Amino acid sequence: MKGKRRTLSAWFSQAPVLLIIALIVVFPIGYTAYISLTNMNVYHWFDFQIIGLGNYLKALAVFDSGFLGALLITLLWTAVNMVLQLVIAFIMASLLNIQKLKARRVYKTVLMFPWAMPGYVSILLWKNGIFNSSFGLLNQWLEKLHLAPMRWLAGDVSAFIACLVVNLWLALPFMIMIMDGALQSVDKSYYENAILDGAGWFTRSVRLTIPAIRPIIAPAVVITLFTTFKQFDVIYLLTQQVGAKTGANIHTVLTYAYENAFVTNNYGYSSAISMIIFFFLIAFVTLSNLKRKEKKA
Amino acid sequence: MKRIFALTLSALLLCTPFSACVKPAEEGGSAAQSVTLTIWHDKEDAVAAALQSELDKLQPEIRVVLEKKNGLTEALKMVGNDPKAAPDLYFFAHDKLGVYAEMGILTPITEFVDADTLAQFLPMTLSAATYKGELYQLPIYFETLLFMYNRANMREDQVPATTEQLYAYMEEVTGGGHYGFLEQHSNAYYSAGWIHGFGGELINADGVPQLNTEQTIRALEYHLRFARLMTGESEYATVNTLFKEGRAAATIGGPWLIPTVREAGIDLGLAPMPIVDETGLPLAPYSGVQGLHVLKVAAENPAKHEAIKAVLHQLCNTDIGVAMAAASGCAPAFAACYELDEVKNDEMVMMMHALAQSAVPMPNIPEMDVMWNVVGNMLVDINMRKVNVREAADKAQKQAENLIAAMK
Repeated sequence: MKGKRRTLSAWFSQAPVLLIIALIVVFPIGYTAYISLTNMNVYHWFDFQIIGLGNYLKALAVFDSGFLGALLITLLWTAVNMVLQLVIAFIMASLLNIQKLKARRVYKTVLMFPWAMPGYVSILLWKNGIFNSSFGLLNQWLEKLHLAPMRWLAGDVSAFIACLVVNLWLALPFMIMIMDGALQSVDKSYYENAILDGAGWFTRSVRLTIPAIRPIIAPAVVITLFTTFKQFDVIYLLTQQVGAKTGANIHTVLTYAYENAFVTNNYGYSSAISMIIFFFLIAFVTLSNLKRKEKKA
Repeated sequence: MKRIFALTLSALLLCTPFSACVKPAEEGGSAAQSVTLTIWHDKEDAVAAALQSELDKLQPEIRVVLEKKNGLTEALKMVGNDPKAAPDLYFFAHDKLGVYAEMGILTPITEFVDADTLAQFLPMTLSAATYKGELYQLPIYFETLLFMYNRANMREDQVPATTEQLYAYMEEVTGGGHYGFLEQHSNAYYSAGWIHGFGGELINADGVPQLNTEQTIRALEYHLRFARLMTGESEYATVNTLFKEGRAAATIGGPWLIPTVREAGIDLGLAPMPIVDETGLPLAPYSGVQGLHVLKVAAENPAKHEAIKAVLHQLCNTDIGVAMAAASGCAPAFAACYELDEVKNDEMVMMMHALAQSAVPMPNIPEMDVMWNVVGNMLVDINMRKVNVREAADKAQKQAENLIAAMK
């Protein structure tokens, strides 16, 4: 009886948080799923009706060869971003944790700076200030070196690399902060023993640091994996913005879906595509988690 | 004690989200004597102030509150039929009215303003505001793209009367980071002028895309010659900065560009749009007509019907047109304004008035929403990715047809 009461009390204490999660996470997903089964569009905005799975059948048309290409780019984008973020963040965090490092707090503050700026502003600053072929910093350097200017955002490969750089600039502060916190949680006595055993920095990192921080950074990695996979603003604002397209033809699943569905003002149809991408994302993350668990086992 | 405190806090937190469900208090004031109308807009302060000042003349019987709304178009989609959340009127460009008319949130203006009064507006502005035979907007002013040149770089006798003269000038002076002429060549809004100059169009009145017609393809091929002599990037910031820095002798831009160009010290000249040699038609850019739209929820409210009528009538004269022209160089929609010296002496406004004869109102049909992106991609393919014009036009036509089909 006492145990039951304690359980009830615990649920009641958690209820506000659960309610907020339900309102801001579960409800939108549920409502999108509901809308995906209706004919809500410009012509049936307020008088929409349930039409079954019609929108899902229509949505399959979007999942054509163009979508497949976008999916491959998204997977490549996610993989390259994750690897670079983890490696760079680990190196930066390790450098920040060097003993007797002077002005550590200053470096940390500077490294957090990109995070403090609104993403939209950062992206457009990079686009116009760094990559612009007439005024950008990169081409000014090329000019000083008497080299021909380049259109950095026009080619598919160069635009992909440019997007990657901007995304790293935006995402690294979070990963560095997590890594930094994780590194500080590792017991220093382990390192003393390892050093006595003759282990160098690389061996200590691979054998000691990484296994120790893995459980701490795992949630951050999953969050970043989600964020990177469903990336929209970096690629869209740098290369695909209406009226400011640069000539590159790189699409993630979201920018592709936006151009081929969301602009139609057909909310039923767009919701069906959103739901399919949502399930795809869930499957992708579940699969990567399962593989990680398998490796662990 | 601690547990009771925690549980009480939890209960209070749980109740918080429901605090918004409280019935709002009745609006205060003497409703019988005074009616308050809300107008949403997204305009610059000078325009809003001119409108507010004109509508303040209706006080104390009618009080008009202008509310600047970011994301106005999306907000209207969400609350356009909700009497508690929707505004009574909104002030915006005409190109979205087809969407709202189909959604059923607009009331025709003819319910409040008679035909004789409406006949005093420029025909182009009325045609822009008409959707499926109904007039949904009271036009206040319009804007369209202008041919601008820098007098320091382009002499009066070099100002091109035809597109071939423009091309010859571009070939002569373009090089070394300087350009004879620049525009946002791969932006649908800017390129439409060239397509209209060949008798083509992006989409017809029935909502059928016209991207691979012979006229459009000819226009795209012709325009490509000019695009090759412009910058790689064709977005707003690059084109306008180059013009403001004196590195581009001429450009096609909106009236909104003029204050910053003058601030940059450019000796600005305005000229009529060049005529396409092949067709004898001028480049005919899109025009956007800004005006007031009445929400159905407000029109159906008997307490507000007469007030809305009074507001609209207050704007059917030269006062608001003259005030708008003075405030922000807007070209009035009320025809009689152009007989007044205040307006006649404004070179930019008069140039826009002259262009009103050939400018094409942006299509206001819902199908146009999908065209901007499709046409933008087509232009990028042609001007930047060197895709064959016909191939790009066919691909874009198919994509536009698919998207329009997906709208329903």
